[in-house]
Amino acid sequence: MTINSLSETCNEIVFSKFFKNHAKSLRNFLFYKYGNKDQAEDLTQEAFIKLWQNCASVPIEKAKSYIYTIANNSSLNEIKHQKVVLEYENNFAGADKTNENPEFILEEKQFKDKLLKAIKNLNETQRIAFLMHRIDGKKYSEIAEELSISVKAVEKRIHLALVELRKTIDFK
Amino acid sequence: MKKNYILAKWLNNDLTKEELAEIKADPDFSNYEKIKKYSAQLKVADFDEEKVLENILSQKKVSPKVIPLYKNWMFRVAAVLVLALGFTFVMQNFATETQYAYNGEKTTFSLPDNSEVVLNAGSEIEYKKWNWNNHRNLELKGEAYFKVAKGQKFEVKTSLGKVAVLGTQFNVKARKNRFDITCFEGRVKVNYKDKEIILTHGQSVTFENGTQINESSTSSKPEWLENRIAFTKENLPNILDEIQRQYNVTITVKTGYTNELFTGKIPTDNLDIALQIIGTTYNLEPKKIDKNKIIFEKK
Repeated sequence: MTINSLSETCNEIVFSKFFKNHAKSLRNFLFYKYGNKDQAEDLTQEAFIKLWQNCASVPIEKAKSYIYTIANNSSLNEIKHQKVVLEYENNFAGADKTNENPEFILEEKQFKDKLLKAIKNLNETQRIAFLMHRIDGKKYSEIAEELSISVKAVEKRIHLALVELRKTIDFK
Repeated sequence: MKKNYILAKWLNNDLTKEELAEIKADPDFSNYEKIKKYSAQLKVADFDEEKVLENILSQKKVSPKVIPLYKNWMFRVAAVLVLALGFTFVMQNFATETQYAYNGEKTTFSLPDNSEVVLNAGSEIEYKKWNWNNHRNLELKGEAYFKVAKGQKFEVKTSLGKVAVLGTQFNVKARKNRFDITCFEGRVKVNYKDKEIILTHGQSVTFENGTQINESSTSSKPEWLENRIAFTKENLPNILDEIQRQYNVTITVKTGYTNELFTGKIPTDNLDIALQIIGTTYNLEPKKIDKNKIIFEKK
């Protein structure tokens, strides 16, 4: 049994499929954490390289927790954490615009800007959990697994993130 | 506290009707709704997954080798040990064992079956320890006395001939062209060229340049073991060779000498007496030039 799983991770097709399923979400997670896209991509690549090199000892069913453990333990010594710079999907905003009056559109734009700023100022753990849910559309249980915390802890972080965002937006 | 998880559940569309009603009553609810709505429109730019995947797959799988390397290292140490032990074993058992007696000394040693061998001066014996009890063969250069333990055939090979016995005491001397065998106990079979002779105790045989001389001896041990050499119809060069070996000296004869043969005993522990005996017999005057050099001159 072990032998089979070993060879599976080492199989290029299996590995590539696994990569495509998880690479972007891992990269995003690292981006929410560090706010630097290049660094996030480098770290993602490093985590998958480690998996690839150790494929013989990591069964495919353990591969996900393997790469997330590497990502969770990663650190950026060289570069200071940057503010997370996000953007909105254009077509989404466009659909709303048609029926609304200019005043509303302006208001909406202001709110969106405030929201981005508020997200930048969230603390790291809240930001990561919140964005994994909002951008990657992950379930709380998935987030909990990837961060190695309980679902309750995820809910608490999301909740605190919402409270924090609302306060920051109100204040401005 | 109550609010704590409700917001998270609301964001995840997980609320019951009552909870939803409760949260809608919150004055901040409209802002939460906006946050929910607009945060759903957030995105992160894609990245070139294909290129990254290509980079990863181009990496060699180094690590699986890490464990074998460690194992190899252990294996190498083990292999070296095994080889060293094996080599020692082979050397001890298969390699030829050689015993020497240099000029002026005698060597006594035991064979693996406790047979005793006394090597006379200037002689050597080669044999193999491995499977000794079934293959009691040894090669002799010079002279040796054997006290053979009972057992399988015991064979002494020399450049001149072969001596085979079962269990006995005998002396073999193979020097230059002279092959002397004396049997002191039991029976000895001697092969010299195409001849085969059986000796019983007290008998001895000498072959020199193809001629055979049969003798009988009354002693129970070779004379050289008791610090005497017995010569039977021996010519001068052979006698001098023997003296040179026994005393580790060089002897030169300055003048011509007769071809008379000598029968008698010469001590191996007193050079002056030995030289005197030879001198008297052949009418020669021994002169010691230095410690290891002797010249015989005409009287």
